[in-house]
This record gives sequence, structure tokens and C-alpha cells, in this order.
Amino acid sequence: MSASKVLVGCWLGLALLSITTVLLGSAGSTLLLGGTILLVALGKAWLITEGFMELRHAPRLWRLLLLAWPLLIALIVILLMLRGN
Amino acid sequence: MSTSAEVLTRPVRRLPGDLAMWFFILAELTVFALLIVAFAVTQLLDPAMFAESRQALDSSIGLALTLSLLTSGLFAALAVEQVRADRQGRAGLLLLAALLSSCVYVVLKLNEYGHLASLGLGLEHNRFFTLYWILTGFHFLHVLLGMVILGWMAERCRRRAYSPQHHGGMESGVLYWHMVDLVWVLLFPLVYVLN
Repeated sequence: MSASKVLVGCWLGLALLSITTVLLGSAGSTLLLGGTILLVALGKAWLITEGFMELRHAPRLWRLLLLAWPLLIALIVILLMLRGN
Repeated sequence: MSTSAEVLTRPVRRLPGDLAMWFFILAELTVFALLIVAFAVTQLLDPAMFAESRQALDSSIGLALTLSLLTSGLFAALAVEQVRADRQGRAGLLLLAALLSSCVYVVLKLNEYGHLASLGLGLEHNRFFTLYWILTGFHFLHVLLGMVILGWMAERCRRRAYSPQHHGGMESGVLYWHMVDLVWVLLFPLVYVLN
């Protein structure tokens, strides 16, 4: 697949996941929904780093560093949500 | 142990852009992470007030802001592909399209800021809005800087300053723009959606 097609595919995925976020948000405010919204955000971050930023071709260390950033934030937010419950 | 055939077929790993830009991106992401965690911790302290304050925000506007940034990111990424194929004219046009898409973000965001200010929901209204203005305002400043970079790179394309062999500066500029996207995809659910 050409690089341009990969980029358009990433954009489509990002747009669909963004719409999913709003739909999930309007469905309620349970812990499960909150966790799912964060998982969707993680998927979007992954599409940006691996697709748009081309880290899929980069050394493993940099891929891990950029994937660790959203993962760490999502984990902290989920832990805070669990504590709040 | 790898055989010589495996070594030959293994894809070459390459970090796009300048290494200094990657360290800059890591530093920026660290600052944003601290702000996002501060927002989440404060929400834990007073979830009811956060949920009530969030009612003043329109998640469909948040979605439109997201789509305009992501579309701009797509155009910028496609521009890099065009430079690699030695089509700088097309790359310049794509960068202008990226700039135009980011203008949609700026207009929507300024409209939202104006609406909130007219309702008296300013920086000092409550903790939610203090953090909302700081977090989104800091991100907004990054968008404005990114737009200057996009405009600069479009002009460089017009002057045919890049080539398929030498376009590391453009890759770095576009990486900065994707970082702005990356931060937003975490900010958007936390500020607009997640109760």
C-alpha cells in the first residue's frame, strides 16, 4: 500500500474514533464508558504516532517512548477514576 | 542469532526529522502531561462541579475542532510525501490546505472562548475553568506557532528549497504539527467528554 493511502486510512480511522468518543460521551458517565473513551483516545494517539509521525519505521526506543506517553496518562486517569468510585 | 539473509531483508529503521526536534517534542509532551494530570486530579477532588461546568462546553464543537486539526495533520503529512516525490508545487498547496484547515480550528476556538467569556466563565470562575483556560490556551498558542511554521514551509516549497534528499527541516516542522494533534486527542476527551 502506498504511503499516501496509509495516511488517508489513518485519517479515516481518526475521524471515526473521534465521532465514537462523542457518541460514547453522550451515552452516560459510567466507569466502563470512561475506560472505553480512554481506550479510543489511546487508539487515536497510536494512529498519529505510527501513521502520521511515521514511527512505524523508527527505532523501537522512540516508538515505545511516544506510545508510553498516552498510555501513562490514560493509566493515571483510569486509576483516578477508580479511586473516585 | 540472525543469519546474513535475515539481516539483509530486515527493514532499515529511520527516525524522521531532526533528533533535536524529537527531544523538543518529548519536553513539550512532558509539560502537557503534567497539566493533563493536574486537570484529572482536580476533577477527582470535585467531580460534581467539573460535570456541571462541562455542560457549558459543546462536545460537537470539540469534535469539529478535532476534525479540523486531524485534517490539517493529514494535509501536512501528504505534503511530506509530495516533497519526497520531488513535487514541491503540490507540497506547497497541501501545506496551504493544512493552514486553511487549522484556520477553521482557530475561528471555532476563538468563538468558543468569546462565548464562554460572555457568560462570565473566565479564568477565575472556578477550578474547572481555570484549568480549561490554561490547558486549552497553552495548546492554542502551540497551534498558532504551528501555523506560522506551516506558512513558512509552504513558502519554502514555493521557492523549491527542499529536495527528495534534503527535506529534514520540513519533516521536523510537520512532526511538530503532529505533536499538536497528539496532545489534542488526549485533551479533547478529558476536557469535553469524560465525566
